[in-house]
Amino acid sequence: MSQGDLSPKTLKPVSQGRLAHHVLAVIGMGAILALLSVVIPLAIEGLPRLSMEFLFKSPQELGRGGIGPEIFNTLVMVGLSQGISLPLAIMVAIYRVEYAHAPHLAQWFDRALHVVLSLPTVVIGLIVVDYAVIRWHWPVSVETGILAFSLINWPYALSLAIEAFQHIPDEWREASRALGASRWQTITRLILPVIWPDIIELTGLATARLMGETAALIYTAGINVSGRFAFSAPGETVAVHLWYIRTEGLMPNADQEAAATGLVLLLLVIAVLWVSQKFAEWVKNANL
Amino acid sequence: MKIDKVMDQVTHMVLALFIVVWGFIAVIIVWGSWRFTRQHGFLSPILSSRWNPLTGHFGLASFILGSLTVTVLAVVIVSPWSLGLSVLGARILQGSWQRYFVRFLTVFVSLPSVLYGWWGLTVIVPGIRRLTGSSGYGVLSASLVVALMILPTFSILSLKAIRQVPESYVEGSVGLGASEDQTLWHIILPTARPRLAQAALIAIARALGETIAVQMVIGGQFGRPGLLHPAATLTTQLLTDLPLLPPGTAGHFVLDYMAFLLMLLMTVIVGLEMRMGE
Repeated sequence: MSQGDLSPKTLKPVSQGRLAHHVLAVIGMGAILALLSVVIPLAIEGLPRLSMEFLFKSPQELGRGGIGPEIFNTLVMVGLSQGISLPLAIMVAIYRVEYAHAPHLAQWFDRALHVVLSLPTVVIGLIVVDYAVIRWHWPVSVETGILAFSLINWPYALSLAIEAFQHIPDEWREASRALGASRWQTITRLILPVIWPDIIELTGLATARLMGETAALIYTAGINVSGRFAFSAPGETVAVHLWYIRTEGLMPNADQEAAATGLVLLLLVIAVLWVSQKFAEWVKNANL
Repeated sequence: MKIDKVMDQVTHMVLALFIVVWGFIAVIIVWGSWRFTRQHGFLSPILSSRWNPLTGHFGLASFILGSLTVTVLAVVIVSPWSLGLSVLGARILQGSWQRYFVRFLTVFVSLPSVLYGWWGLTVIVPGIRRLTGSSGYGVLSASLVVALMILPTFSILSLKAIRQVPESYVEGSVGLGASEDQTLWHIILPTARPRLAQAALIAIARALGETIAVQMVIGGQFGRPGLLHPAATLTTQLLTDLPLLPPGTAGHFVLDYMAFLLMLLMTVIVGLEMRMGE
């Protein structure tokens, strides 16, 4: 017997006693096919309708329009609310992980954050309609939508940022403090440079989530668009547009319009994920 | 260090703002439900299923039942698929395939729920209509859509749970002569059980809170029980009634009460989740 035969690998039964593995693998493949069955019909049905005209023109009630304003609204609203809520989330995460003056309360904070995170977004929509729209007389518009987006994104970005900060082992902080750096110096010179790539990638996830948000926006940002962009004008997003034409719209060719809109939404989400991942990789390598 | 003191205060302030904003939201919901329960009682709306806001009947039983049925059915449907995907990703695929696999699932985690709703409307609803002769809209369609929607989240978390099992356990088991299957059923899955349960609870929370995908396929009417009949859930009814019961109308506070019930359910789920983590 040669020496190689005694390695653990040859002692493992390779083909016997793996029936359940094979069954589970087949089930897993089935699940992958089921997931692809969401994307592939979307591409098949939506692709013929996709054109420059569709991407840039305004929608028309009877079809044959485009979704230009919707795409623009989505980008502006997601971008601005990310700009508002992301720095706020990072600040809270810094406090929670780096300063944490009351550690015994941290557990309760985490628990409450979990509840807030699992709260359906339609509840946020309800609160924003109650207060911003009815009480403070904000119009159903882009700005109200930005408020709803920021409220939804703040806890989500916070939980992602906390996770990123907690990846750094405590020994690093201790070493940095022992060398005489203050807490803030430790954060800006040591921790942030290391976790920037993580934060960028997680921002991509949060952005993708916002782009698909629908329930909280229907009654805050509205289900139509105006001819010219304004913060106080109705700001339907791509996701809401898809919901609207597929459930309440009167277009004769609603199926194709919806598929094309869904395809645009899908491509936006994939683009955001891809760009954030590549950018994170680039930042990581530039640091070295 | 001066900047240190300043930033300590600044982050402190932002934390305070966070707590004030979310505390305000919680207070609005609780205050609204208090106004509602003072008039209609705490339990009687949950037990009654007579819903007619115009005549002052606010029975929520059918919506609660709808929410629970859709969630339970979706989780039951999705469990074997999720187990298959996670074992495939963690134990069968090797090397960089595992990474591509997780990346593939991540895209589907981020897929907007309105796209799953679109899929339900174009694939599931006509399919069920052809198979059963009903309208196609109903609890069964909603559960199928939600099941597919929570599948990527559930599988990624279970996959991570399986990966957390120390490799030495697996080697020990195989070294003692157990087959791969025996190792999976008797070592890997029992060891990963708390984390698998946590994954299931996160999936349940997501299913319970889903609004738009369910709203698109569940039909919105209610009254007749049964999996193939149109129904409504707490979240879909909240969405539908938001413009019908604006603040100032008599029934407005029922919306706060529904939000409060959802918050309560989420608190219970999160409590269980935290207990599993210990």
